[in-house]
Amino acid sequence: MRHRRRAPPLGAWWAAVIALLLGWGSGAGAQTLVFTQAQAVAADTEYFPDLPQVRTLELPDDWAASRPDQTGPVWYRVTFDAEALRASGELLALYIERACSAVAIRLNGKLVHLSGRLTEPVSRNCQRPQLVSLPIAWMQPRNNQLDLKLMGYPLRQVASRQRAGGLSAIELGPHAALASKHNWRTLVSIRLPEVISGSLLLVGCLIFAMGWLNRSHSFLAYYGALLVGWALVLSRQWMADMPWPNASSEFLLAILASFVTLAAVQFLLHYGGERRRWVDIGLPAQCVVMPLTLMVAGAQHLHAMATFWYVVLAVEVGAAALLHLRKLWRVRRTQFWPMVTLAALMALAALVEFSAQQIGVDLRIVAAAQIVPPLLFMALGMRMVQQYGRQLQDAEQDRAELERRVHEASTQIERNFAQLADLKVEQVTQQERKRIAADLHDDLGAKLLTIVHTSDNERISTLAREALEEMRLSVRGLTGKPVPLLNALGDWRAEFVLRLSQAGVDGSWHAPADDDVPQLLSARAFVQTTRVLREAVSNIIKHSGASRCTVRCTIAEGDFQVVIQDNGKGIPLELDGRLDRGHGMASMKHRAKQLQGQCLVESGPGYGTVIRLTIPLDRHLASA
Amino acid sequence: MKNILLLEDLPEIRTWLKALVMQVFPSAQIVECARVHDALAQVSAQKFDLALIDLGLPDGSGVDVVSALRESQPDAQSVIVTIHDDDDHLFPALQAGAYGYILKEQSRELITEQLQRISQGEPPLSPSIARKVIAYFAAQAKPQANALPHVQLTERESEVLLRVAKGFTLPEIGVQLGLSRHTIADYVKQIYRKLNVSSRAEAALEAQRLGLFGRGR
Repeated sequence: MRHRRRAPPLGAWWAAVIALLLGWGSGAGAQTLVFTQAQAVAADTEYFPDLPQVRTLELPDDWAASRPDQTGPVWYRVTFDAEALRASGELLALYIERACSAVAIRLNGKLVHLSGRLTEPVSRNCQRPQLVSLPIAWMQPRNNQLDLKLMGYPLRQVASRQRAGGLSAIELGPHAALASKHNWRTLVSIRLPEVISGSLLLVGCLIFAMGWLNRSHSFLAYYGALLVGWALVLSRQWMADMPWPNASSEFLLAILASFVTLAAVQFLLHYGGERRRWVDIGLPAQCVVMPLTLMVAGAQHLHAMATFWYVVLAVEVGAAALLHLRKLWRVRRTQFWPMVTLAALMALAALVEFSAQQIGVDLRIVAAAQIVPPLLFMALGMRMVQQYGRQLQDAEQDRAELERRVHEASTQIERNFAQLADLKVEQVTQQERKRIAADLHDDLGAKLLTIVHTSDNERISTLAREALEEMRLSVRGLTGKPVPLLNALGDWRAEFVLRLSQAGVDGSWHAPADDDVPQLLSARAFVQTTRVLREAVSNIIKHSGASRCTVRCTIAEGDFQVVIQDNGKGIPLELDGRLDRGHGMASMKHRAKQLQGQCLVESGPGYGTVIRLTIPLDRHLASA
Repeated sequence: MKNILLLEDLPEIRTWLKALVMQVFPSAQIVECARVHDALAQVSAQKFDLALIDLGLPDGSGVDVVSALRESQPDAQSVIVTIHDDDDHLFPALQAGAYGYILKEQSRELITEQLQRISQGEPPLSPSIARKVIAYFAAQAKPQANALPHVQLTERESEVLLRVAKGFTLPEIGVQLGLSRHTIADYVKQIYRKLNVSSRAEAALEAQRLGLFGRGR
């Protein structure tokens, strides 16, 4: 039983996120001062320098535009009057949305905030918004000087425009109002990437392990590597303090892209079953070539070279994605449209990112665009884990089924083997029995026969004939297969009628209809019953003087019963009250007992004789 | 009955049988043999009207003599006289063309009566033999790869066989079917004949299949 669980409606969720991102600026209070102009000068000094180069410029100040070659640090100064602010009595704070890469803040010459190290390795806080509490005690009613020493790097030394030095507009106002702004910004720029990085890392490792352990699912390993790589890429957002210089961080981030590309392309190709040998070689080679070119170009041209490579890598991934989609269109049409949607969203995100690199786009849109790929990755990853689980389940079922079949087959084989062995034993036994029977006939039989036909003594010849019959019955008991009761009844009837008619006795035979006797009689039961019948008929012919004899065969409650009745003179009683032994009653009873049956004789002088032979059928069905 | 072949290896029994036969057929010429080899020589040398043949003999089986007789003297009646009463011995002899069988240990009177009946054209048939014949022809009726010449029992013959199998005597069956005992006896003779024809056709087909006639396949 399998249900396809419906994915939660993603659209609504996305709408909520975008609304949040776009709407965060609306909470600012009325008394907030927003500085859009500042005095600025480039100098590496302890305090704001008193230099002739000080100029007034607009905020936000994007170094990529205003000073492309500046390596910082740059001093900024804004001046404000604090009377109105102090009158409100609220705790005051300074909010800087972007101070890239690290900033030191002085109020009236006193250091109030340091966002990180200003010397190498410089803290990387481009994405982290700064919220600084300003002590009112240090403020003067008028002409307060707020000095910011900003350390940053020019665009050409960083791989991404977002990490080029720059200062956003500065806001001064009640702490509570700015704190909520700060929280929003922190959440979007730092916390979310942190959480997503962690999740990607976890899921990626899991999927990688799954693919690594199961080589037929190698695309999973590549996908896992892709997620892990992306988690590392995302770490640029929130990892502030590295033990190495900024240039090294930028270099590492740039070459990380080639690994991510390798994973992405290989995933797409393997997933679609479109493996290419030259790709297998080309991509790792690219991972070597890219860092080399970056090194050759040098730290001063990092941005240009990285941009070039980003375009190349993006084209590679795009080509792989198109190949994959083409394959899907041909083979699995149902999965085509979801994947196309996914690819389109990714392409859109890439486009936004690329535009941001080249011309500078609203940070909020960029932030939103940056969150899209990881979320899509997570969704696809979950889908793959689900598929993997289902396949595992199917495989488990198949295995169980296979095991069951193997078990069945082996049982069958064992059974067949046992049957074969039994058959072999049966065959050998049959052969041996036949040999013994033939020997008995040839030897003992011939001798008895000679006695039968050469003896002058009637009694002796009769005895020999009976002995011969006994021998034959014994032999048949040895060699005989189970006899259908129907056939046995036919044989008995033929003998009974023939003998009585020869003796001039009127015989009548009653047996159940053919359909009522489906039972089999073991050879032994057949032989013994034949003997009892034969003995009884002999008695009637020889001793009873009867003129009529009736035999009734019946089957009731698993018993076979034969009743032999005559109208003769009956069996005379001995002195001890027993019936005459000379009439073979004892042997008849003995034979019945051997078959777990019984033989009852009712007789009296002048009343005729009734012999009732009862044999339980089920014990003599097939066992010989 | 003029010429009678008597094949029996035990001297005492042969003597006894000869006396018995002479009693039934006083004017007959009796040729005695103790070996299959001698009997076959006699069969090719002269004509017989009746042959009493034992099955288990020192140099082979009496069935060969039955076959030879059937082949060269179709009018001669072969009767098996044996100690074996089991179908495994009797049925092949009947297939070879024997006309009936007598069990040796039966009383003198019974054997006399059977011989007389046979000479009057009433062949013996036991229930177990009847069942074997039924099964044999039932198996032949099934469609087979090697199409045998169709030798089938008529409805009446099958009816007679079924009743014999249930233990009814030939006279009883005659009464049941409203026919004379001679008609029933004729049915039985016909059944024996068909059994032989069928088995001979089978043998011929088998020989052809094995290429004994040089034109198989």
